[in-house]
Amino acid sequence: MIEIFYILIEILFITTFFSLPIILIDKNYYTKPLKFNFIDKISINLIIFANILFLFSILNINTKYFLYLYILVLFYLALFNFKKIYLKNIKIEYFFIILLLFTFLLSIDLADQIYFSWDAKSNWFFKTLNFYQNQNIENLKNFNNFDYPHLGPFIWSFFWKFPHGKFEYLGRIFYIFIYLLSILSVSNCLKVENLEKVIFVILLISLTYNYELFSGLQDVLIFSSILLFVRFTYLIYEKNNRSDNLLLISILVGIFNLLCWTKNEGVFYGFFLFFALFVTFNFSKLDKKFIILGTILVLLIRILFFKYYDNQLNPEYFQMRETISFDLILLIHKLKIVTFYTLIYVSQNPIYLITMPILAYIIYKYPRKNIVNFIAYFFILNFIFIYLTYMFKMDEVELLIKASMKRVIFQTSGFYFLIIIIYINNYVKLSKEIKK
Amino acid sequence: MNKKIKKNISVLIAAFLILIFIFNQNLFRKFYNIINIDYEDRISKSSGFCSGDSTGYLINLKKKFNFKFNPQVINYEDSVPDSNWAIYDTQLKDNFNYKILLNYSDELSIKFIPAKNYFYSKNTSKYAVGLSGIIFDLKVENMNFNSEIIIYRKNYGNEKKEIIYKNLFNQPISNNELIKIDFKTKKINNIYKLIFLEIKNLDENQIQLINSVKLLLKNEFNLKNFEIIDSYQNCYYIK
Repeated sequence: MIEIFYILIEILFITTFFSLPIILIDKNYYTKPLKFNFIDKISINLIIFANILFLFSILNINTKYFLYLYILVLFYLALFNFKKIYLKNIKIEYFFIILLLFTFLLSIDLADQIYFSWDAKSNWFFKTLNFYQNQNIENLKNFNNFDYPHLGPFIWSFFWKFPHGKFEYLGRIFYIFIYLLSILSVSNCLKVENLEKVIFVILLISLTYNYELFSGLQDVLIFSSILLFVRFTYLIYEKNNRSDNLLLISILVGIFNLLCWTKNEGVFYGFFLFFALFVTFNFSKLDKKFIILGTILVLLIRILFFKYYDNQLNPEYFQMRETISFDLILLIHKLKIVTFYTLIYVSQNPIYLITMPILAYIIYKYPRKNIVNFIAYFFILNFIFIYLTYMFKMDEVELLIKASMKRVIFQTSGFYFLIIIIYINNYVKLSKEIKK
Repeated sequence: MNKKIKKNISVLIAAFLILIFIFNQNLFRKFYNIINIDYEDRISKSSGFCSGDSTGYLINLKKKFNFKFNPQVINYEDSVPDSNWAIYDTQLKDNFNYKILLNYSDELSIKFIPAKNYFYSKNTSKYAVGLSGIIFDLKVENMNFNSEIIIYRKNYGNEKKEIIYKNLFNQPISNNELIKIDFKTKKINNIYKLIFLEIKNLDENQIQLINSVKLLLKNEFNLKNFEIIDSYQNCYYIK
């Protein structure tokens, strides 16, 4: 029974951690025309906190000081906004209840199954252990794959350490939280009744959930970050205003930074998302400059970090010289293998099976909207990336594909939920118009 | 439709979906497990006590000996990574004079089964330091071949062979007879790639007379050379 108690306390800690500042901040702090809902505000808080935690990690500051800082800020906010806080006015949303309920349900599954996947055992858990045992970032050199980013394990260690420091899996509840939050967040794009959104959320969870996602792998963080990116991009398209997008762009840059420090391929996904947005939305000059500067800044931090720690991507992994030597038969052979397995793994992923025909239908049926182009561009770049990743691997392509392609395909699959959302929104709009 | 009825139907559908999810994931059983089985037993159950990752045995050793160093953990099971994650402490120094052997096996071997005109490996090895013998399981009593035996791995794409062992066999071979070899190599260790065995000058018909070939390996860790501090089944803590 004690473990159930620990799980409940951990869930309470995580939800309070990300939602309490919202209650304490005066409503006017958020810009009114954007109409952020409670889930959006929690998402924004999470993005901000994760980025601050990232800064703490690269500056080698003990995470307990982050907690002190957090309490101090809360105290300040409570004092500053004391008269404006009316507990009676706080509405509990359906989505928040669903978030808490499913975090608990999935935590039960996590605590029971508990095991780590291969990559977690040989890579990610050691990084987590390093931070949990108060070692600095340089100490990661003593473990496998120093070139793998460390943010996921850093946050895992933070929620393992606080509030109990007891069972390792408690830290992984954060992964469940961000996974659910991102699904709830993207479901908010739907223009239907709240309860219908809840049904949609439960269906998405049932479609995507399996324990493997939380077995210490980082792919679910990429999946969730991309979903959050989709949500805030959707708000840009919805607002459809050339200028005044700085707040939303800042949030997107924050997500890009999280993607870059979660897995190496996250850099590419972030870049593809920004590229697709940049070419399909008519931003003002200022917004464009802001996007370019933000992207460069994030990439610069990564490059400087790699330079400072003399860190290089594993040269054995990408054997570009051999690949570019242009052995045509070998290239065709690899192309055949990659195509075969891509089809196999895509057909095993229900999200692709549902969304791809809908995408084709939308493109055929409706006049092409910018947001549909956004999806199409990302789709093309995503699959070019998958092909190139495996084409540049000289040795044991088949083995590598079998070990990783399913996960690589899953990472970006959440992005395509947007297709369902566009379809439902258009369909509902259409049926309402017919009724009128 | 009346808005209230519509709302009630939506609530019912949502509740029904949640229940399906709970039953589908068997969450009541899992809830019961968490209450009744403690954390370490659940880990042992999912990662094995002295099988698979053998996490249970590692945690048990850590409790018993309260390590002031990180011993070397060697897992003979090839379906799991060779990791000491369950007991590793980043604040302690490594001391590889102390070793924990998990799923240890005295006799290491690789079994080859016939394909067209070659044999391919059915299992792999991680801790061999050489070859010590070869056994042919034949469909006949004896076979005579004057051929070169080549054991190799293939490189992807260019089909280039990485030769592990090559030797001329010019002798009658009896069914299940041990033919001794004394050859040092660590190239045989690889849990990711298949190994092939070829007997030159042997046609497909002759190959069909061989059920399988067993390659005996020299073990890197011989228990006779160590002091056993603790053991459970085929898991050992030694120095």
